[in-house]
Amino acid sequence: MARLARGAALTDVAFAVCTALDRAGETAVLCGGSAAAYYVPERYQSLDVDFVLHVGRARVVVDRALESIGYDRAAEDFYRHPELPYTIEFPIGPLAIGRERVTAWRTDRRDDALLHVLAPTDVVRDRFLHYWAWGDRSALAVALAVARERSPDVDLGAFRTWTERELAADRSYDAARIARFFRSLADAPAP
Amino acid sequence: MRDDLRPALFGSVLRDRILARLALSENGLHLRELARQIDASPTAVHRAVIALERTGVVVSREIGRARVAVLNRRWYGAVELRSLLERLVDAYPEVRERAATRRERPRRIGKPL
Repeated sequence: MARLARGAALTDVAFAVCTALDRAGETAVLCGGSAAAYYVPERYQSLDVDFVLHVGRARVVVDRALESIGYDRAAEDFYRHPELPYTIEFPIGPLAIGRERVTAWRTDRRDDALLHVLAPTDVVRDRFLHYWAWGDRSALAVALAVARERSPDVDLGAFRTWTERELAADRSYDAARIARFFRSLADAPAP
Repeated sequence: MRDDLRPALFGSVLRDRILARLALSENGLHLRELARQIDASPTAVHRAVIALERTGVVVSREIGRARVAVLNRRWYGAVELRSLLERLVDAYPEVRERAATRRERPRRIGKPL
């Protein structure tokens, strides 16, 4: 597989990583802030490219796949490229958002490359959960941006039902933050 | 109780102590204070927290020049883990006793002790 060169964008890196791993027999799903950046690049950028391996095998398989596109494992378990600012990390799975495992994701294709990425609704859940758990308003802003700009792909009914399930499991979560999410969504519609 | 008689459920007594202590704190603890609370060296605690962060059960963030660690409530087993740790802390009574003497509620600046 071709090595990534200077100037590659996050999307180029994400496709290259996912494709290289797929060819090595690994399924890696783009998640976290980088998945949000994939959907709303004008609103949010990330230099951290996080993938969760669906069924992780030996580290050496991942090392070799990433070496083929120019990424080497750094001492602290991140992968770095000598000419790109993006670092790649593989948080320990399973792929989950809050208490719920994620077993289905979206797969986009570009020429002969592919990218497995959290679906837009799951990205909204994931970013919202940072706000819900830690009060991180920047994560709320990203959740709202994805919900607005990818509205045809975001199932707000499923989102609300999920918040109710999380709330039932952990009563310490603040229900007022769910109301704030929906109020903010209604207050500032997409331009 | 001798350490070799402790459960070491999470790979070591040190990790157990860290997790048990964090389960007793809603707002997390500075790593140096965490080390003091569990009678461990700051360096060893720092290393153990890094390892626990890798698993996803603990997260940390910088506040000023200090790093604060807290149980990760976003982790998919967070509710069950907290329940387990609240039982596990029974094996570390000194951790519970020391936590009971640490004030976490606010105190006005300059107010005498």
